[in-house]
Amino acid sequence: MGKYFNFIIALFAIQNNLFAAEVGMPQLDPKYWASQAFWLTLVFSILYISIAKFYLPKIKNNLDNRENRIKDDLEDANKFKELSESKLKQYKKILEDAKKEVMKIHLESKNTLDKEIKKKKETIEKEIEKEIEKAQKDISDIKKNSITDIQKISENIASNIIESISGDKLNESSIKATVEDVSKKNLGKYL
Amino acid sequence: MQQFSVHKIGPEIQIAGIDLSFTNASLFMVISASIIMLFLFIGTKEKKIIPNKIQLIAEMFYTFVAKMISDTAGSKAKPYFPFIFSLFMFVLFCNMVGMLPYSFTVTSHIIVTLIMAVFIFIAVTIIGFAKHGLKYLSIFVPSGVPVVLLPLITIIEIISYLSRPVSLSVRLFANMMAGHTMLKVFGGFVISLGLLGGWLPLGFSIALTGLEILVAFLQAYVFAILTCIYLNDALNLHH
Repeated sequence: MGKYFNFIIALFAIQNNLFAAEVGMPQLDPKYWASQAFWLTLVFSILYISIAKFYLPKIKNNLDNRENRIKDDLEDANKFKELSESKLKQYKKILEDAKKEVMKIHLESKNTLDKEIKKKKETIEKEIEKEIEKAQKDISDIKKNSITDIQKISENIASNIIESISGDKLNESSIKATVEDVSKKNLGKYL
Repeated sequence: MQQFSVHKIGPEIQIAGIDLSFTNASLFMVISASIIMLFLFIGTKEKKIIPNKIQLIAEMFYTFVAKMISDTAGSKAKPYFPFIFSLFMFVLFCNMVGMLPYSFTVTSHIIVTLIMAVFIFIAVTIIGFAKHGLKYLSIFVPSGVPVVLLPLITIIEIISYLSRPVSLSVRLFANMMAGHTMLKVFGGFVISLGLLGGWLPLGFSIALTGLEILVAFLQAYVFAILTCIYLNDALNLHH
């Protein structure tokens, strides 16, 4: 600071040589001190009163308004946020319930369907078994019937063959006995 | 230094034999105060939730000064907020108006700053005694000082307290005067060195103008914050 002042004073000296007309510090001339004091007091008092009574309350009012508004808006935002959260929860719950319901219905329908299918399958199987049994019986009947026919045909063929080979008739009963004997031996092969 | 000289404008006003004429200094006080009031008028005209530029600047000044007071002097200083706000604005705008070419810097006169400083000094002393009575004198006796040193410290404290108005006023006055003198000197160099060598001081002049605008703001701030600190000493008695 001292260096600064010395520098200024040096510059002052140069300055005063350059512009010789201006000398001294008017600040230290007491001629207008009273005037400056008076006008400063007057102007500053007016400024102070107008600021204190008029401008500052207005600014403060406005700042308070804004703060309140922001606070209210924040509160509203929080309220809405809570509301939306509870709605979301409700929505999720409804969704979950619906899912459970769907599962339940699915399971039930599956069970009933399974039961029905089983029942139908059983009845059909029974019917099929019956049919098969009937068919087997028919087949065995036909087989049994066919044996006697075959025996008769074999007897005839045998007697005819013997007749055509040897030229005489054989006893029908002996042929019958032989055929029966042979057929009994071979019956297992065909039945 | 012609820029600091005071001269009469209009008729001579004499009250009880004292010359109270309207001068160029008075004119620039009126101009600064008018600019402040105009600025605040425009700044508070529209009460918008989302402020326009001037309203925003006015509110920034408000919060700036409010924060300065609450930081240095606490909540007890709230009643003095309008005064400190007015003081800050007045000093700031006087300094800034003084930066305009051909204008007059009100705060570069010791009498102006001294009157403000003395007023603050007296007001703070009255507030101190009114709040704490004779206990306010304990401001001169710091706690935690060895008994041997106490008389010396007390004398130093009293001197520092009494020199407050001087230091407060001279700080502002000297800063403003020195700055303007520097600008004037460099301006003189520009002319005397002419087209050949005048460019260097011209550059200095431009740089110094920027510096002086900073100083103008800084000194207003320092003046206001020191007022807050003195107020704090008077309001919250703990040393």
